[in-house]
Amino acid sequence: MNKLWQKGVLGVLILLVAYNSVYFKKLDEVKATTAGFDGAAYATTFWSEKLTPAMEKGVDLSALLQQLQTNPDQAFATHSHALGIGNIKYFPVKGVATVKNVRENEVQVALDAQPAGTELTIATEYIFGNAVRDASGQIDINAFTNTMDFNTVSAELNNIIRTQVIPPFKGQVKTGDRVEFTGAIELNQKYLNFSSIEIIPVSLSVEKQ
Amino acid sequence: MKTETQKLATPARPLEMNVRFDKAQLLRFQSLIALFLLCLALTMLSDKFLTVSNLWNVLRQISVNICISIGMTLVVLTAGIDLSVGSILALSGAITAGLLKNGIELPTQNLFIGFTILGAILVGILCGTFLGALNGISITRFKVPPFVATLAMLTVARGLTMLWTGGFPISSLGDTFLYLGAGWFLGIPVPVWITTVLVLIAIFITKKTRLGTYIYAIGGNESASRLSGINVKRVKIIVYSIAGALAAIGGLLVTARLDSAQPNAGISYELDSIAAVVIGGTSLSGGRGSIIGTVQGAIIIGVLNNGLVLLDVSPFWQQVVKGLVILLAVIIDKANSSDE
Repeated sequence: MNKLWQKGVLGVLILLVAYNSVYFKKLDEVKATTAGFDGAAYATTFWSEKLTPAMEKGVDLSALLQQLQTNPDQAFATHSHALGIGNIKYFPVKGVATVKNVRENEVQVALDAQPAGTELTIATEYIFGNAVRDASGQIDINAFTNTMDFNTVSAELNNIIRTQVIPPFKGQVKTGDRVEFTGAIELNQKYLNFSSIEIIPVSLSVEKQ
Repeated sequence: MKTETQKLATPARPLEMNVRFDKAQLLRFQSLIALFLLCLALTMLSDKFLTVSNLWNVLRQISVNICISIGMTLVVLTAGIDLSVGSILALSGAITAGLLKNGIELPTQNLFIGFTILGAILVGILCGTFLGALNGISITRFKVPPFVATLAMLTVARGLTMLWTGGFPISSLGDTFLYLGAGWFLGIPVPVWITTVLVLIAIFITKKTRLGTYIYAIGGNESASRLSGINVKRVKIIVYSIAGALAAIGGLLVTARLDSAQPNAGISYELDSIAAVVIGGTSLSGGRGSIIGTVQGAIIIGVLNNGLVLLDVSPFWQQVVKGLVILLAVIIDKANSSDE
């Protein structure tokens, strides 16, 4: 009798927990309230209306590198953007540089004035990550219902760079050319490293010599 | 002459006993002494260490490691090892976050199954328990060495996490869920409360229940335990299931704290956990150790991590230091075992 009681109480407990654990809805009703997110369309609009203007107002890379040498905290506080709480920060940058070397996956460039030991490259093959999206400072994670959508924006922005920005540039650039660029760079605030700074381009134009 | 010899010999005995007593006391409190010396050194080296906010931060951080390490202690007490806790942590956290955020869609039935926080948490813990049980079954039924079985589970669970999340974090899980990892209750962080309750339950199990006695017996001498009628296989499956469940709870705490389930969460957590167990004095050969010792070990690891960060030591050197501390702990443990 005692065991029967125990089993009964356990059964009621399980039912109570189950009742408070799940709920059921019709899928089409749920879908209707959360319409699908078109990442490509969002990225195209974001690119023309927010990203490009933000990058054009980006900090001059030469001046930024100088400031990072003399007053890094202020440089990060003034110019960087980041959505996370880590040490990785993104800068919207612009400038004019001379092409030093055209490699398979990147173009090595040098600014007219850049600190010793600095190496700059423009990525032309592997365009991944969130540098461009986050460097713009124009996107709010809370505007997205889930992280998949938010990350899709990055993927689509990178796709625009891969298909629209890089091919015309890659087809004509050669050593000695002058390149005007806007784009994003990523730096670790705690472990600053100038020996390998990669620019993810948003716009590139070659001035022939 | 005889009287003189007796007179000379008499004072030697109490002195020897005294020395032995001191050494025994020293061994008993070696973790606490190490922790005290570590705290003393860090207090002198960094003015940020001994601040209330930092100490709460340390306690909040070590809550997850203590959680995992309780399970690891039980496993190690049976002379086993569990390398899969970090991956189980990640998978359970991701499943909880995914169910909470997206639910389950069944298009053929036009059905959406939504999960409350309670439901999502329960499924996450059940998932960890199930994977732990699978570890136990591989080890006991199929005679796979614990190292290999749990190493395989490490890979499987990590792969499942990637499949479930698609490689992306699952974020924005709501304020109520966030409270579990980042909230305060009666002036103490919620994860510290949760971990304290788990520690008390684990102490009760190891000290006051038959299961606890069996765990120590199996680790001390598995053959003798089997011959004396203990169902060794069953006890081991239960122990690995508990370790899985505790890893899952650790996953919930991490996910709740970050308000995000990261697909690469928990990487190398198994090492911190084993370090806590070993530093806490639990013998890797099984049969000897305690939950309290593990808690002390986890605090030492947590304080050491915190101290190295405060002292701005490079993360690469931090790994070197942690490795050396673990090695030192094992060497001391071996030396003590030889003495005994």
